[in-house]
Amino acid sequence: MSKKIVSLFLAALMLIGCLPALADEAITVTDMHGREITLTEPATRIVAMQPSDCEILCAIGCEDALVGIGQYCDYPASITSLPVVHSGAETNVEEILALQPQVVLMNDMTQSEEQVKQLEENGVKVVVSSATDIEGVYYAIRMIGALMDKSEEAESVVADMQDTFADIQSKVTDEGKTVYFEVSPLQYGLWTAGKGTFMDELATICGLKNAFDDVNGWAEVSEEQVIARDPDYIVTITMYFGEGPLPVDEILGREGWQDMKAVKNAQVFNASDSNALSRPGPRLKDAAVELYNFIYGAEEEVEPAA
Amino acid sequence: MLQGDHITVRYGRQAVVNDISFRLEEGQWLMLAGPNGAGKSTLIEAIAQGVPYEGTIRWQGEDLRVMKPNQLARRIGVLSQRNAVGYAYTVEEVVGLGRYAYSSGFLSGRRGEDRDHVEQALEMTGLTGLRRASMLTLSGGEMQRAFLAQVFAQDPQVLILDEPANHLDLNYQQQIFSLIRDWLKQPGRAVLSVVHDLSLARRYGTHALLLDRGQCVASGAIGDVMTPEHLNGVYGMDVAAWLRELLSQWE
Amino acid sequence: MNDTRSLRQERFAPVTYALLTAALLATMALCVCVGSVPISLSDTVTAVWRALWGLPIPQNIAKNIILNVRLPRVLCVALSGASLSLCGAAMQGLLRNPLADGSTIGVSSGAALGAVIAMAAGFTLPGSSYGGVMISAMAFAFGALVLILSLAYALDRSLATNSIILIGVIFTMFISSIISLVVTFASEHTRSLNFWTLGSFSGVNYHQVKLLALALVACGGVVLRYSRELNAFAVGEDNARHVGVNVKRVKLVTLITISVLIGVCVSISGTVSFVGLVMPHIARMLVGPNHRRLLPASMFAGAIFLLLADLTARTLFSPIELSIGVVTSLVGAVAFVIIFSRTRKAR
Repeated sequence: MSKKIVSLFLAALMLIGCLPALADEAITVTDMHGREITLTEPATRIVAMQPSDCEILCAIGCEDALVGIGQYCDYPASITSLPVVHSGAETNVEEILALQPQVVLMNDMTQSEEQVKQLEENGVKVVVSSATDIEGVYYAIRMIGALMDKSEEAESVVADMQDTFADIQSKVTDEGKTVYFEVSPLQYGLWTAGKGTFMDELATICGLKNAFDDVNGWAEVSEEQVIARDPDYIVTITMYFGEGPLPVDEILGREGWQDMKAVKNAQVFNASDSNALSRPGPRLKDAAVELYNFIYGAEEEVEPAA
Repeated sequence: MLQGDHITVRYGRQAVVNDISFRLEEGQWLMLAGPNGAGKSTLIEAIAQGVPYEGTIRWQGEDLRVMKPNQLARRIGVLSQRNAVGYAYTVEEVVGLGRYAYSSGFLSGRRGEDRDHVEQALEMTGLTGLRRASMLTLSGGEMQRAFLAQVFAQDPQVLILDEPANHLDLNYQQQIFSLIRDWLKQPGRAVLSVVHDLSLARRYGTHALLLDRGQCVASGAIGDVMTPEHLNGVYGMDVAAWLRELLSQWE
Repeated sequence: MNDTRSLRQERFAPVTYALLTAALLATMALCVCVGSVPISLSDTVTAVWRALWGLPIPQNIAKNIILNVRLPRVLCVALSGASLSLCGAAMQGLLRNPLADGSTIGVSSGAALGAVIAMAAGFTLPGSSYGGVMISAMAFAFGALVLILSLAYALDRSLATNSIILIGVIFTMFISSIISLVVTFASEHTRSLNFWTLGSFSGVNYHQVKLLALALVACGGVVLRYSRELNAFAVGEDNARHVGVNVKRVKLVTLITISVLIGVCVSISGTVSFVGLVMPHIARMLVGPNHRRLLPASMFAGAIFLLLADLTARTLFSPIELSIGVVTSLVGAVAFVIIFSRTRKAR
């Protein structure tokens, strides 16, 4: 009898001892849609639908927690062997549930409310990550760090980015030079990155003015406007597939472009990785460094801060 | 002039025209007679090279199948039964198309002659005043006359007419038939036509071919073919008595 | 002697041609002078004038924009407009169907599919990297035409009813989904879906101007030579045969010619819809249905209309460019409804 009481008592004690411990470990984050998400413990099984979130997870050392990736996720190369799920408009709830994740990281634009509801009813936490500027990227990194209980690592990734940007900004002088970003080449219709894009922000960091900062987002612009605005630099993100002239040579050889400053001075540059320039992830700092080196030449080369 | 031998036209398995032969000589007006579904219009389509057929049709010994379309059109003019126009062509433009066969290739440039033929055809059919009218605004009878004028402008040696009096008022009916008979008086011409009205057929035809369900019932001179025995058998009624009864109302 | 002159009047008088040419040149001049970048009239005129006579041209921004961007574009647009409108007019006559056009019958989308497949598969001709795309576009355009016409014939031999349009529209939807499939899987090789479905003249050059001019002269010559035959077809295919038209040959040659012309147009500028549908209608209202007048009038009307549509597309929201199909469809659909209700009332 007394034994029973003692054991009950002990059990009660353990319960009391455990409760605050549980409460301590519970994680609450506010995602980028403004929803509060609470996890009882750091996530160990995650599906990331967007390439940028995969990159963030890997940057803070959580690659092992990834159990599934969206169809366009391709960096770092080591994650490409993971199971792939459809993303965007083709998102398939069953595919995600089959991977038994605790958390799904996705953008808020592309999934329907019904799909989010379905996932949550099946015990999967949906966390929205939708950075549209560099501040947003910092928020996403910290948010994902908190989810994974890797806040320290997240802070250091953020600090690394901030240091790199600050380093570049301290070296550049604003001479009012302009840059034109070419997202798709002439034969497909000229698309550029205007205001509110990462390319626009990176240009500002490098002391440049985006030649099309009067345009919002990505837009098709007229060829004569590009010629008339006569930018000092041209950055193309066209990928080269081994046919025809190299993207830079193609631009240098365009009819009617030969008198532009950027073409005359051969200041045309093909970004080595278009994804680094456009994904809201840690590699934005690499893109900034690449852009800086292109503009100010190799002699003043900056190294990434870490 | 025109000779058809063992013509058979099939739609699917069914022979709509079954082993029909005919001869059309200069000065003759051959009437194709018979009830609905006898194969009259189909036979005309075959002669106009509009449907595939077995057997041969020859123009003065020459197979029509190997003739070029414009050569054929200069010899044989066809007025078909269904003629609707989709666009607002003028009467004159439609009649002028009748000269197409003469304008292509080396024979082009005979504009004066073309014009005369068109004028004549318009006059014959009483359409001179309507030459600028849109085809879309014409009555059924005017439309029929316009297409008849087109065939006249085509200046063929044989006219093939599917129901030429269709949509026509009684006065035009008489006029058109007299017109065709006058046209036929010129040497080197012949007419082959489908006429539903047996009285008209009897009145104007010189020869007849009586068809029933694709088969030839009788052929030869009009008086030998359009006999009460033949007609009563084909139409399943006393034809002459019925026509007489209709006429008696006027007495 | 009014009546004896009437047959000769089938053709336009030289004065009418002069007027139409003047209207076209005026529109072209307007389109060269106006753009998203303002350039003074005197600079524009100097650049074009000196280029015409092979004189040295002062190196300035006007020269680059006018001679290398605007002029080739204006020429391409005018040639495409004339070509598409000519094809529409010819098809409407040949099939005796006023709703027929490259975009309604599915020929344009067939051509686009051919071009997309050739691009995705990297199909090229020796000597010309773009030749393979064009040949493939032409072949697919013709294939689409034959397929749709035989389907329509099976359903309704007269072709005059709307069943052919219905088949064309369904076929276009079907082909569009295949195009988007190919574009999705080979996006790095082909142009964007937007280009193929709405069209664009952005970035065209003199090479493409030459190709279009060559195609229009060759194909336009064939179609114009068939003016009388098309008249006969427009009155009725049976009637055409009765007056001595070689129905099979005319139909085959016309359809091949249309396919070639549409193939060239689509591979250069994507599918620009409604030009070939609406412009022949307007031309017919002005000059009547006789193809001797209708075909040239349609070409002029198509060129002028497309020039103005492109001008709108590139200046309305400057510096952003609209797809030209957005403009032609907007204007064309409204114009079509008006024309349709008018012709209904007129009857």
